Amino acid sequence: MSAAIELRGVWHMYPGSGRWALRDVSLEVAEGRILAVVGPNGSGKTTLLKIAGTLYRPTRGTLRLWGSDFWAVDGDERLRLRRLVVYVHEKPVLVRGTALHNVAYGLLLRGAPPEEALSRARRVLERMGAGELAGRERGQLSAGEAQLISILRAVAAEPRVLLLDEPTAHLDLEKRRRLASLIRELRGRGMGVVVATHDYLLARSIADEVVVVEEGRLKARGPPGEVLEV
Amino acid sequence: MKPRLLVVLAVIVAAAVLVSLTQLGAQTVRVRVTTTTSLYATGLLDYLEDQFRKQHPNVEIDFIAVGSGEALRRAEMGDACMVFVHAPSLEKQYMARGAIAEGRIFAYNYFIIAGPPSDPARIKGEDDPVDAFEKIYEAGEEGRALFVSRGDNSGTHVKELSLWEAAGLDPRGRPWYLETGSGMGNTLLVANERGAYVLTDIGTYLKFRKDGKIPNLDVMVQGGDELLNIYSVYLVPTCSGEEAKYARMFADFVAGEAQSLIGSYKVDVYGQPLFYPAQGKLDWLAEKWQELAGG
Amino acid sequence: MAGEALEIAARSLAISGTATLLSSAWSVVLAYLLARSPRASRLLVPFLEALVGIPTVLVGLLLYLLLSSQGPLGMLRLLYTPRAIVVGQAILITPLITSVAYRVLTHSWSMYGELALALGAAERQAARLVFSESLPGLAAAVVMGFSRAFGELGVALMVGGNIRGYTRVITTAIALEVSRGEFGLALSLGAMLVAILVLVSLTLRFLGRLREQ
Ligand SMILES: Nc1ncnc2c1ncn2[C@@H]1O[C@H](COP(=O)(O)OP(=O)(O)OP(=O)(O)O)[C@@H](O)[C@H]1O
Ligand SMILES: [Mg+2]
Repeated sequence: MSAAIELRGVWHMYPGSGRWALRDVSLEVAEGRILAVVGPNGSGKTTLLKIAGTLYRPTRGTLRLWGSDFWAVDGDERLRLRRLVVYVHEKPVLVRGTALHNVAYGLLLRGAPPEEALSRARRVLERMGAGELAGRERGQLSAGEAQLISILRAVAAEPRVLLLDEPTAHLDLEKRRRLASLIRELRGRGMGVVVATHDYLLARSIADEVVVVEEGRLKARGPPGEVLEV
Repeated sequence: MKPRLLVVLAVIVAAAVLVSLTQLGAQTVRVRVTTTTSLYATGLLDYLEDQFRKQHPNVEIDFIAVGSGEALRRAEMGDACMVFVHAPSLEKQYMARGAIAEGRIFAYNYFIIAGPPSDPARIKGEDDPVDAFEKIYEAGEEGRALFVSRGDNSGTHVKELSLWEAAGLDPRGRPWYLETGSGMGNTLLVANERGAYVLTDIGTYLKFRKDGKIPNLDVMVQGGDELLNIYSVYLVPTCSGEEAKYARMFADFVAGEAQSLIGSYKVDVYGQPLFYPAQGKLDWLAEKWQELAGG
Repeated sequence: MAGEALEIAARSLAISGTATLLSSAWSVVLAYLLARSPRASRLLVPFLEALVGIPTVLVGLLLYLLLSSQGPLGMLRLLYTPRAIVVGQAILITPLITSVAYRVLTHSWSMYGELALALGAAERQAARLVFSESLPGLAAAVVMGFSRAFGELGVALMVGGNIRGYTRVITTAIALEVSRGEFGLALSLGAMLVAILVLVSLTLRFLGRLREQ
């Protein structure tokens, strides 16, 4: 079985920066598994996830999604592949409208009928015990609430692989627990999840596998018990 | 949205706006006239247009007020159909080149030399403006007086330069000789502030004086043929069609029917005329015009 | 006199308003294309930003030379018409609107464009979100452009000619009244100009507020 996402020999340099943010990274992500990405600030975690999420085209190397070279296909096929992977920003960005509208937004982009999208969004909100946020405008949410909404927006879109960048940065302990259990539930339904995080507790408790990034290179890879020494 | 779609949209909007603008004002005839600022600023030309339009409501006389030199240059470029100016020496050059034709003198008045009440150059009551200029030059060199010039190639500026030339003097570059490079009104204000002498047309002077803007500028020298200010109207040969036809009609009107209107214009405001009609004095004015034009 | 002032104000509004719409149409498109192509923008944007302060008489003069009967576009017979002012002002404010809109759109793209793509949007859906989230910023760019067009003198004087009842706008009327020594009148015209600018800006702000709700 080919991997869901496969990076092969990926190098990346932001235009004008003159430094490699990623150096020769090769990595596979499978469906139905949870992969944690850890490493110091500026090591390249976000860059890695955004490349996997098709947001950046790597300077060198290839990105394969379910076997297809993503940047070599175009048109409808590219859009179809892009919709299988959803990346969640570390700084949450919400569109104009209520929290409920935001959670439904990914479905709306995929052409779901509005009522259906909204009722599904409401179920997702309630599953996380955040039903009372539904009617709030984006300006009326706390940092943690906004982060939760932006994560749930991706979950509601039901991708095959979910890429979460620093998902617990603003969450309280209770929400972190709920999020961990939600991620496990998603894995149970066959979704692949990649989590870039500084939260070792989270990584240790949910990850099937951990990769360590340092200065743009993959330094180590293995089960959490081995890789995450205290 | 695809960029190409946006570009097409933008082009359509732009085209639609331009087309709709082109439709505006289709049936009226517009006559483009360049004129000197000081003449236009008196309001006389607008007043004459209003009278003319009572008989020809479908005609718009478009006055474009610039300096005399600029007015003639634009006419030569073909950007006007008629010119109102008061700079005989320039007019003569442009006539010789065929840029303007069918000149008619329609009005005249006098320039005046104004200056500070203290009159440091002792020119008050002088008959001959050329002598007055000589005295100003002397006083200027001795550091007792200032002179402010338009310096903008306007009719008034041309006149001023011809007076210096008649005196055999060249004040340009002297420390007491200030060139404003701007209109008559602004030049008067500068002269007033600096306590300087200035050559001015009567219309602008009376207006600013009456409004109390130039209390520091009295009339020093006035009258006399040397300060004669002759206004002429010309047609531009390259202009054709309806525009040329109505331009000629307006010129006829100004030089004929409107003459009495010119003489009485704003007499009620200033207690004296701003302009004298040319009718009845054409031979004398033509002779003076030749002198002013330099031979 | 008051009637004439109102007529002049209405004409100024029509001329500068049309110029702003025209210029916005191409400027926003140009800004979007620049925001989407970093290489072109690195070359063009500094150039556009430098041109924001281009003297209005310079634009007026260049356009005059183009539109003059002996100029290359003389056959259009645009000189000394309101259309000439519209075209001149539209050109004048293009660098301003484009460079402000470019900033707004690049910022917006880095947030909302990326968000939309992350959520699986097609390029067109991403652009729609970017524009929708950029509207307040773009409106500000347009208001700035309008303000510059409405308050400029050089173009209106050079290619409009300040013709009474035809191409006289507020700024050229002010210049004329100043030259006539009618300072009081010039000041009231100036007050009217500022009042209209403030009104236009507030109206757009109000419309934006309505949209937020
Ligand atoms: N837009 C950008 N332009 C230029 N350089 C960038 C840009 N974004 C990131 N970088 C650089 O790329 C490198 C990797 O950044 P990245 O954001 O991937 O780090 P990270 O591992 O996610 O860090 P953190 O833990 O702080 O989120 C850093 O050196 C950073 O300075
Ligand atoms: Mg990061």
